[in-house]
Amino acid sequence: MSKSYFDETHCAFGHPKSTFMQWMLTVDHKRIGIMYAVVMFTFFFVAVAAALTMRFELFAPGQQFIDAHTFNQAFTLHGVIMVFLFIIPGIPAVFGNIVMPLMIGAKDVSFPRLNWFTFWLYIIGCIVALSSLFNFNIADGKLVFNFADTGWTFYAPYSLNTDTNVVTALVAAFILGMASILTGLNFLVTIHRLRAPGMDFFKMPLFVWGIYATAWIQLLATPVVGITLILALLEKYFGIGIFDPSKGGDPVLFQHLFWIYSHPAVYLMILPAFGIMSEIIPAFSRREIFGYHTIALSSASIAGVGYLVWGHHLFTSGMSDTAKTIFSFLTFFVAIPTGVKFYDWVATMYKGKIVLATPMLWALGTMITFAIGGLSGVTIAMIGADIHLQDTYYTIAHFHYAMLGGVVFLFFAGIHYWFPLVFGKMYNETRAKLAFYILFIGFNLLWFPMFIAGYYGMPRRYFDYLPEFQIYHQISFWGAIIFVSGLIFMFYTLIQGIRKGKPCGVNPWNATTLEWHLPSSPPPLENHTKVPYVDFRPYEYYHGQPVVKFDENMKRID
Amino acid sequence: MAHDSHEYIPEIAVDRNGNEHVVQGWQGDNYGGKLGFWLFMLTEVMMFGAMFMVLTYYFTLHHADFIKASSELDRTLGGINTVVLLISALTMGLGLLKMRSGDVKGAKLMIWATMLLAVIFLGVKALEWTNDYKEGIFLGLQGLQSGNEFSKPFGEILFFGMYFTMTGLHGFHIIIGIGLMLWLLKRINSGKVTPEHNILHFNIALYWDLVHLIWVFVFPYFYMTGAGAIHG
Amino acid sequence: MANHTTVDYKKERGNYYKVLFGLLALTALTFIQPSMFLTHYTFGMQMLIGTLKAWIILMYYMHLKGEVLIGWTVVFAVFLVLFFFVIVMIDVNNFQFADVSHITSPAQ
Repeated sequence: MSKSYFDETHCAFGHPKSTFMQWMLTVDHKRIGIMYAVVMFTFFFVAVAAALTMRFELFAPGQQFIDAHTFNQAFTLHGVIMVFLFIIPGIPAVFGNIVMPLMIGAKDVSFPRLNWFTFWLYIIGCIVALSSLFNFNIADGKLVFNFADTGWTFYAPYSLNTDTNVVTALVAAFILGMASILTGLNFLVTIHRLRAPGMDFFKMPLFVWGIYATAWIQLLATPVVGITLILALLEKYFGIGIFDPSKGGDPVLFQHLFWIYSHPAVYLMILPAFGIMSEIIPAFSRREIFGYHTIALSSASIAGVGYLVWGHHLFTSGMSDTAKTIFSFLTFFVAIPTGVKFYDWVATMYKGKIVLATPMLWALGTMITFAIGGLSGVTIAMIGADIHLQDTYYTIAHFHYAMLGGVVFLFFAGIHYWFPLVFGKMYNETRAKLAFYILFIGFNLLWFPMFIAGYYGMPRRYFDYLPEFQIYHQISFWGAIIFVSGLIFMFYTLIQGIRKGKPCGVNPWNATTLEWHLPSSPPPLENHTKVPYVDFRPYEYYHGQPVVKFDENMKRID
Repeated sequence: MAHDSHEYIPEIAVDRNGNEHVVQGWQGDNYGGKLGFWLFMLTEVMMFGAMFMVLTYYFTLHHADFIKASSELDRTLGGINTVVLLISALTMGLGLLKMRSGDVKGAKLMIWATMLLAVIFLGVKALEWTNDYKEGIFLGLQGLQSGNEFSKPFGEILFFGMYFTMTGLHGFHIIIGIGLMLWLLKRINSGKVTPEHNILHFNIALYWDLVHLIWVFVFPYFYMTGAGAIHG
Repeated sequence: MANHTTVDYKKERGNYYKVLFGLLALTALTFIQPSMFLTHYTFGMQMLIGTLKAWIILMYYMHLKGEVLIGWTVVFAVFLVLFFFVIVMIDVNNFQFADVSHITSPAQ
């Protein structure tokens, strides 16, 4: 039995003896991916706690547990953590790191030490982001926090005037942006340079296509928000004037620059998630994926068109009608490649031998929730409807159906799919499936009422509401309780899987891509024993069985 | 890896017909290093591109004010800096050429020359900013604040705000460049950068060209816009 | 990171000086243009000269000539920046409330 990457590693510098330091200094892409996952999900639960606090407060009209100012800070905290700390690094940082090099037959990413540096840059960003949480004092027996209260969007001019700690949040977002850029850069070079011989772009697994498209967004969109945050800081402390109306500056320009990044950022989140879907659907339908080329190219075109649609966030901000029309028109285009993907997935399942394992359940559940999230997005891309629905719970419901019901659900799907690869063990499938059903029900109960409340005019980010909205908030509350219980149960099941799971062999799902052809499970330090020559498509099944087989030296034997 | 001092030997993959294919490893990937650095430079392009967009936005809104403000800048000092930077790009390029042709000593000399020119650039810049300050044009001074008797019109406030931001950030890149060149000299002295392994030198030369490239647009946009026949 | 191509220093140096000369000539053009020709289009002319200089620097000093992949990545980035410019310009030029906006026509 060869050693796995849990036993040995390469370090960025030095030869530390202690296991702890070996993890801290590791340049191994798999270990770095695991560390990202641990940190990210820790913060994920902090943000869930902030959200749950808001749900408690909103159970009835009026003030119950927290005051209005704290409520503002709670939704800012929720947004900043969920967006900048969790979902933007998200799937690329975890599975892009762990799985992508394995899928293309590489020994590591192109710049392993840069990868290590990037991880620590991310940690520094997290520390800066949350540092102001500890800047609180106690007045009249109550905690008074000093966290930013601007929302995660930091809109000027409010963010430039508020006395709360916006500066740490801005600096943190900049640092996290740099980490994101470097991750993207590393992956782009890796995918261009380190593919196994014979593997051209159209023999890559579709998850790699998702990561590739994402990396371009990370690389080219993030600098725009980086410079915007710097300009906002310069504005706040040096008064350069460009976002300050009293000097002729235009705050709407801040929104332009902010969304030039932050809208492509949602495609940055969803594209690797779609990649996971494209891995899971053929593996559990035991059928070659339908329309490989269209899925691959739709990833690229979503990324491309995604750059050009940021203005639909500004329909009510004071843009010219001409620009509104252009943006509305361009936004509809994004739905086309997304629709193509959906039909391809459904067509893949047609006449397949569908295995309803946990990852497949998550993927199928996401098809429902993301379809709702995506199509409701098309409704608010229409200018007229958006004037009514902008900044209401309708938009919030749309966003969470797309991000939580799309990205995070597929993230969970990926966790269940690659869990045996990473740990060499299997979790309890019965419990994991139960967790899925709890989460799925809780999720819909939590978010669907918001569509209705928003349609009737419940505005977002409000601490209080009219009594007629109470019923929706209360349904949402019970949904939230179910959802959080499901989350805890799911993570309990997974942790039990790590501790006590049964060894499962290298390829428990009968999947075809290269990461399932490793010599041992968990994988050894430098991945495949030998780099294979790739002269096959990624998802070849014949009568429900994988076609391509390798011997121990990665030579094809089928 | 730092401790893998022995020469990296690429792996060979064999296809079904027995043909051998060299596997590209992350070690010794010269082209990968170059590609990575180019991608990094694209992020700089997007950053400065966004700032130019802000600038153009306000130029469109306040055309006359911008032209008037631009004519107040010191074109001589700006011009000197343009030429200084232009020559420094040459010395940097020649340094890389010398390195690649095996003349390590000459390469180091050229890097020192580039650094000297960079320092001159910063000196001229400092002189220029000092002059601006004396004329009452600086961030935080009354002229660039709103609502007092010295307040300049909106367009001029925004012009100078962007002027200090963009030349400041450009100057910051020059400082970073000097730091990179010092690091490069250290690597050359310790034998890590040699005529055969020159990717670091190559990339830092690219970086310096990018800094020059940004100035190629910053200079005419700020200094020359107000030099034409149309005046405020 | 081996780069085993040996370089003929003398020959390459000549090219560098030629490029330098071209750039200096364009810089001189930058200075004389506002008082010499097309003086009503100073901004456009200056940007045109700048673009020319940038092209020369990219092609010869930065060795972009012959780089297919890197060349296309640069084209993509520049296209995006230009697209941002175009959209924002369309927006500014068609803004229907310019007459009542504080930042375009401040009520003094």
